[in-house]
Amino acid sequence: MSQTDPILLSVYANTFKSITDEMSIVVEKSTRSPILCEAKDFVTGLYDAQGNMLEQTENLPILAFSLAPVCRYLLEYFGDEIYEGDVIFHNDVFSYGNQNNDVAVFRPVFFEGELVAWTAVKGHQADIGGNVQGGYNPNATEVWQEALRIPPVKVYEKGKLRQDVWDFIFANIRLEIVQHDMKAQMGACKVGERRVLELLKKYGTESYENHKSALFEATQKMMEAEIAQIPNGVYCGEGMVYFDGHHEGSEFTIRVKITVEDKKVVFDYSETDAQTNGFVNGTYTSSASATLLTFLQMVNPDIPHNEGMIRPITINIPEGNLLNASYPKATTFGNHLCPPNADAIIRALSAVIPERVTAGWNNLLCSLTTGTDPEKNDRYVDIGFMGLKGGSGAMHGTDGYDHIGMIDASGGLLDQDYEMFEQQTPHLLLKHEYITDSAGAGEWRGGLGVETDFRIGSEDTQVVIFGDGDFEPAFGLFEGQDSILNTIELTYPDGEKVVPKNKDLILGVPKGTHYHQIAGGGGGYGNPKKRAREKIKAEVRNGVISPEAAKTDYGVDINK
Amino acid sequence: MNLKIGIDVGGTFTDFFYVRKGQAPVIHKVLSTPEDPSLAVVRGLEELAKIGDSPLSASEFIASIETIVHGTTVTTNTTLTRTGAKSGLITTQGVRDALEMRRGIREEQYNNRYTNVEPLVPRYLRIGVEGRLDRNGQEITPLNLDEVRQAIELFKEESVEAVSICFMNAFANPEHEQQAAELVRKELPNAYLSVSTDLLPSIRFYERVSTTALNSYVGPKLDWYLNQLKDRLQKAGFSGLLLIMQSNGGVMTPELARKSAAQTLLSGPSSGPGAGLVYAKIHGQSKCIVVDMGGTSFEAALVVDSPIVANSGKIDRHHLALPMLDIHTIGAGGGSIGWIDKGGLLRMGPQSAGADPGPACYQKAGTSGAGGRLPTTTDANLILGFLNPDFFAGGQIRLDMDAARKAVEEHIAKPLGMDIERAAAGMYRIACTNMAQGVREISIKRGFDPREFPLVVAGGAGPIHSCLICDELEIPFQIIPRESSILCAVGMLMSDIKHDFIRTFVARLENLDWEKLESLVAEMEDNGRRLLSDEGIPEEQQENVIKFDCRYLKQYHEVSFPVPREAFRMRDLEQIIKAFHAEHNRLYGYTLEAEGAAIEIINVRVQAIGQTEKPQPHEETTGTADPSEALKGKRQIYVFENENFEEIPVFDGHRLRSGHRISGPAMIEQITTAIFVSKAFDCLCDPYGSLALFRKGSED
Repeated sequence: MSQTDPILLSVYANTFKSITDEMSIVVEKSTRSPILCEAKDFVTGLYDAQGNMLEQTENLPILAFSLAPVCRYLLEYFGDEIYEGDVIFHNDVFSYGNQNNDVAVFRPVFFEGELVAWTAVKGHQADIGGNVQGGYNPNATEVWQEALRIPPVKVYEKGKLRQDVWDFIFANIRLEIVQHDMKAQMGACKVGERRVLELLKKYGTESYENHKSALFEATQKMMEAEIAQIPNGVYCGEGMVYFDGHHEGSEFTIRVKITVEDKKVVFDYSETDAQTNGFVNGTYTSSASATLLTFLQMVNPDIPHNEGMIRPITINIPEGNLLNASYPKATTFGNHLCPPNADAIIRALSAVIPERVTAGWNNLLCSLTTGTDPEKNDRYVDIGFMGLKGGSGAMHGTDGYDHIGMIDASGGLLDQDYEMFEQQTPHLLLKHEYITDSAGAGEWRGGLGVETDFRIGSEDTQVVIFGDGDFEPAFGLFEGQDSILNTIELTYPDGEKVVPKNKDLILGVPKGTHYHQIAGGGGGYGNPKKRAREKIKAEVRNGVISPEAAKTDYGVDINK
Repeated sequence: MNLKIGIDVGGTFTDFFYVRKGQAPVIHKVLSTPEDPSLAVVRGLEELAKIGDSPLSASEFIASIETIVHGTTVTTNTTLTRTGAKSGLITTQGVRDALEMRRGIREEQYNNRYTNVEPLVPRYLRIGVEGRLDRNGQEITPLNLDEVRQAIELFKEESVEAVSICFMNAFANPEHEQQAAELVRKELPNAYLSVSTDLLPSIRFYERVSTTALNSYVGPKLDWYLNQLKDRLQKAGFSGLLLIMQSNGGVMTPELARKSAAQTLLSGPSSGPGAGLVYAKIHGQSKCIVVDMGGTSFEAALVVDSPIVANSGKIDRHHLALPMLDIHTIGAGGGSIGWIDKGGLLRMGPQSAGADPGPACYQKAGTSGAGGRLPTTTDANLILGFLNPDFFAGGQIRLDMDAARKAVEEHIAKPLGMDIERAAAGMYRIACTNMAQGVREISIKRGFDPREFPLVVAGGAGPIHSCLICDELEIPFQIIPRESSILCAVGMLMSDIKHDFIRTFVARLENLDWEKLESLVAEMEDNGRRLLSDEGIPEEQQENVIKFDCRYLKQYHEVSFPVPREAFRMRDLEQIIKAFHAEHNRLYGYTLEAEGAAIEIINVRVQAIGQTEKPQPHEETTGTADPSEALKGKRQIYVFENENFEEIPVFDGHRLRSGHRISGPAMIEQITTAIFVSKAFDCLCDPYGSLALFRKGSED
């Protein structure tokens, strides 16, 4: 750190963070797909000339690690043909993309003729071609049934739009808003570039280079200090995946071996089951993100997200594995292997750092409804965010968070507003409330799950289901109890009931069908008999624990 | 005598400000009385009577006051300290948890110890009742009044003090809410009642229920306080008009404030930006950025012709969807604590030593706080020579240099391996970077270039830091008002009466039902006229501003923009669409104009403005440029451009006269403010006693 100034170092760190935050606001406010502007399923990042992460604003934690590997790949791919004014698109999962629908925009930043940085935005697009609109095709077995592959491609070169390339890409995508949203992402990259150039103009390249290295070192030290608090050893855990979308009753096991040695940690997935023949497969980038976000929740949450944070962590996932599928497997479900992966890590580390882990989180079970609004004669697509958000696992000293949603998002994914939901779909919302006794009991209880009911308002409605958590509930820890299972059930106007599989595509659902969903709670932590009596009484009064459960689970007779 | 007084209640001081024609403005401060803030208000007025050339008796003076404009943080504090009313909520069956769920957000995603905020209404007092409207406001199921009665019975048993009513889709038809409200008024006549569509008849259920519940939560407290205040003022002889500051930068009568208490929730700093504009106008500018640095926080706001308004905000993580000034607050003040994070980086704040224990240098100060052990911004400023240990608050508070140096040495200098002076300079630097970032939030992030705005600097410590903030943002011109330390009280005298109205009206712009739209606007304008007339504002001083909230079809976020009256009258769609594209481009850097993307309107808004009389600034005669009569001496002060201490001149701010010109680096000391003119700036004292700082060579 000889050529660095500790004060200026703080200035750089603040500035990098403010740049990616500013880019994030541009994307949030100017995109049109609700997946981007409401669910905030995007990440903005700043990388150095070598592709090292300087800072990022990930919005959804599952995107925590999704850009840096691509950035390095671009450098290798284009070599010395990277120019000022280039704009590069990428989504290919076989060259470090994390999910087909997550399309990245990269913009190289040049200062005084030299490549000094990259600004990038990756966002989940409303459509990316393939067999099924929206990308979730439970029947897919190969990547081409899922999406248009976009390996690194320049849509602008030296500041000039390559109209032919642009037209080629968007000729293969159903929805026009995807073009607009990609433009919004490009706009954010430009905003980021402007700020990087201001910084360099002020301090010069040498100062920037020295300080960013110092910043990586400082962050690395922070992460190493956190890891050093975990006793050395080898810790193993498992998480279960149920149903690959093709073979009923199929089950898969994620096995992680975590080796902590002084200031380093290795996550090894060599013993995890092999890839499936369906779309229930991870990509390396998405699986590594899942590992990182779970681990980051067990350490100091204030560590900056840059290259230095990652250096002490190694994640080994052999190709052909459930978490790192080989070409040309289908992989769209990969992000949703995060919950069972997190389960495996939590189980592995719970014995050694019991006060830093949570009990199991509610797993994702999601539906996507598509149809035509009969009153407006307009197509709609709705992702059932409000229905899918269950509770988080409890931890020592803290109850789980109610209705937070799966761990991949950790509360970053918001419900649709009820009235906006009724404006944008023809459905009528009947219920969206916490479920009594849905949280795993414990000295600290799990977060509450929710119940969602609505009446479908369009004929010939298509319902796509994807997720898990209907076979195995969120687990309790240290005598804490498990939660309840996820369920989706459709009751047709003629009384017929349909319970979809957890990966399913249901066509022709008639108007008037009653949609019912349960998202379970989180697992409890510690012996429920030790829970404070006043808390239980207050919760019975508020109807989140029934008097019966107070007696059976907690041993408290409310009438006494 | 036409006396109008601004009274701003803060955490430590209650500030008073008034101007009499032809006389210098009067500034006065008394200690606040948090348990009943009206005590300090009356005490201050009594003290004011004795100030000046012709002292009056307290009752004579108070009787001569025509208008009091009052800013109160009663509702803000009630929310932050969770001491609001015991409230009940009547809502649509099936959605009673929306208030607590807050759409399922956890603000700190990696922090599993971060818990949800306690709901304003406990679950057992949130009652869902049968009755449903569809998205167009058509009734699907009639309201079940028996269930409403049962809810009321429960509220009676539970001694509920305030009731909120919010039903699904009521923005499109308030009928069910009105039915329920009628029953509550009859059965619970003493309860404070908030009806969502009276307060905010616009779409988005969570925002509406949260705003309504906030209103009920703080309403009874504000009602009590306003009674206290009116009583005390009346007893003291006051018979004039009392006006209350709102979060939207306007004022309203206490009668209205009682009903819509939530309008005052973020009113604390809301008169500052308008005051800033007054000083900018003196220098021929109709826009400015106003910053105010206090003991624990730093506030920044932007003004273009009038202060920029946001349509919603948050208080203690609760959503508040009422128009409010777009003021960005960060935890950077004089009391902000410096610390080294685990990666070895220097950080400032957001933790603050506040007034108690206070900065380390308060060891012998005789203030309420005995002085902390941790190094703060104020300690760094003392070490760097910006603060004079013998002249802090005019010498009332003695600063302990040794304690400041010890704190900085132990917690900053040693861990970073540098000397105390350099460590203090680093603290100063980081504090300024944080504040510059706060300015970016309200300028660059909203599509404005800060270099085009003069920076109006308020707060006792603000002008020590403003040169470096301007350096970071390349701002060439700053104004330090004579009343810098009580800017909000000044702003109160400059505030107009403002009432905001909103109606949800979802339609595509290209096939707009103009008659429907015009009738909505006419209805809101009528309401505005009625309120303003009740408040005694004559017709010729009334004005209406129309705004649309629009978006490209299927976007989720609306852009709010003013619609020129003439364009509205002429149904000139082309001009309205152009205004939307322009605002969208300014905010987000692109438009879909070329693509011809369809635009939809979601809400239409009317702001009714009643202009109030404002005092004229007091002008001094201009003298010479030579400031030497005000020179106090020289001392060693840190000049950041040279990263070094230099012996620079120190001036007595109270002896500076109009026309005096000082070339930086220099220090100017006033009783309530210290001003550092860096090497890059020249300072000119204007005819109103304010200081204008120009970047050298940029003056025109």
